[in-house]
Amino acid sequence: MQFTLAQGIVKAAALLGAGLCMGMGALGPGVGEGFVAGKACEGIARSPENASLITRTMLVGQAVSESTGIYSLVIALLLIFSTG
Amino acid sequence: MAKKKKSLLKLFLLLFIIEVIIVIISSGYNKELQIGFEKGKFLLRNIEHPFNLQEKITEEFQIDEYYRQKGIEPTIYGSKEVYIFFKNTFGKENAISSFQLIRMLLIVDLILLLMALYIRRRLLSRPSKPQILFEMIYTALEEFVVETLGKQRANYAPYIVTLFIFIWTCNMIGLVPIPGFMEPTRNLNVPLGLGIFAVIIVHITAIKVKGVWGHLKNYVNFVKNPLFLLDIVSELSKVVSISFRLFGNILGGAIIILVVSSLVSFVVIPVGLSLFFGIFIGTIQAFVFTMLALTYIGVEISE
Repeated sequence: MQFTLAQGIVKAAALLGAGLCMGMGALGPGVGEGFVAGKACEGIARSPENASLITRTMLVGQAVSESTGIYSLVIALLLIFSTG
Repeated sequence: MAKKKKSLLKLFLLLFIIEVIIVIISSGYNKELQIGFEKGKFLLRNIEHPFNLQEKITEEFQIDEYYRQKGIEPTIYGSKEVYIFFKNTFGKENAISSFQLIRMLLIVDLILLLMALYIRRRLLSRPSKPQILFEMIYTALEEFVVETLGKQRANYAPYIVTLFIFIWTCNMIGLVPIPGFMEPTRNLNVPLGLGIFAVIIVHITAIKVKGVWGHLKNYVNFVKNPLFLLDIVSELSKVVSISFRLFGNILGGAIIILVVSSLVSFVVIPVGLSLFFGIFIGTIQAFVFTMLALTYIGVEISE
């Protein structure tokens, strides 16, 4: 496969951007999901009889806060596969 | 009991060591044993098969691009006519991938239909084991529906249960170790269709509850709500967020399974990865999709 210089620069920038996108995009959901899980632990410790309801709400909340990380994954995949 | 467990553990360890040795020996050769039939003759030979991760990923996730790069004449089951039909219907870029998607969706539908017929044929008052399982799933989800929407709207339960079982089966079918089997939810079109349908149902419910004008009032009330355009954008972003979440999780899991298992030469680790990304994430995401669809409906009703 032969690259011109411009194509090479575009490809390199896309790969670099994909790595940066994934790394930074994983920060927010990580913090958010950990926070939600910690609060759920506290809630279950305080009232163990509500454990199933708390777990369900926690999972839905975590999935919602995870969506930004998923967007960054999609963007990273787009950058890797659709460029160059 | 303890003795049996110990001997099982020993057997597992022995198998593990043998597999590691085989992999270490064979990784130096890049050769693959091929057994099968070709032109009516039995076939047993060693073929050259260098493993290339980039090519493997392209083959797995962009099959049409793979055929174009390799320069192979693309066919479906060796048939040119079927390929041309799919090419004319879905375009040159998506011919084979659409065929694979439709095949997997039909398989999932067939499984669900057969399961429904099998269980419906033998409904008993003293239920059999599969009947108990399905009644458990149904009652658990129906309870969520009644909790969120109220008792008079329990007729939403069939839609919610169907959504859950369909997405769950879609996510689980990727675990079947047959070449060409993949999760239909790996393709963006399936989650997007499900998401658009869920949001349409949300709006139909809102119109049923509040009337056409009562529902539109939320969006075109210039005095009370000058930023009504943002409300319309948020409705569109519901579709995007609910479908991209499912799609991204399943696709990301599939890519991670492929890449990491090729790093360890497909020894043991893929089983653990499939357990986590296939079963755990698949179940959670199916559950989350249904719960979010239910929550969207509940928000429209409660206003």
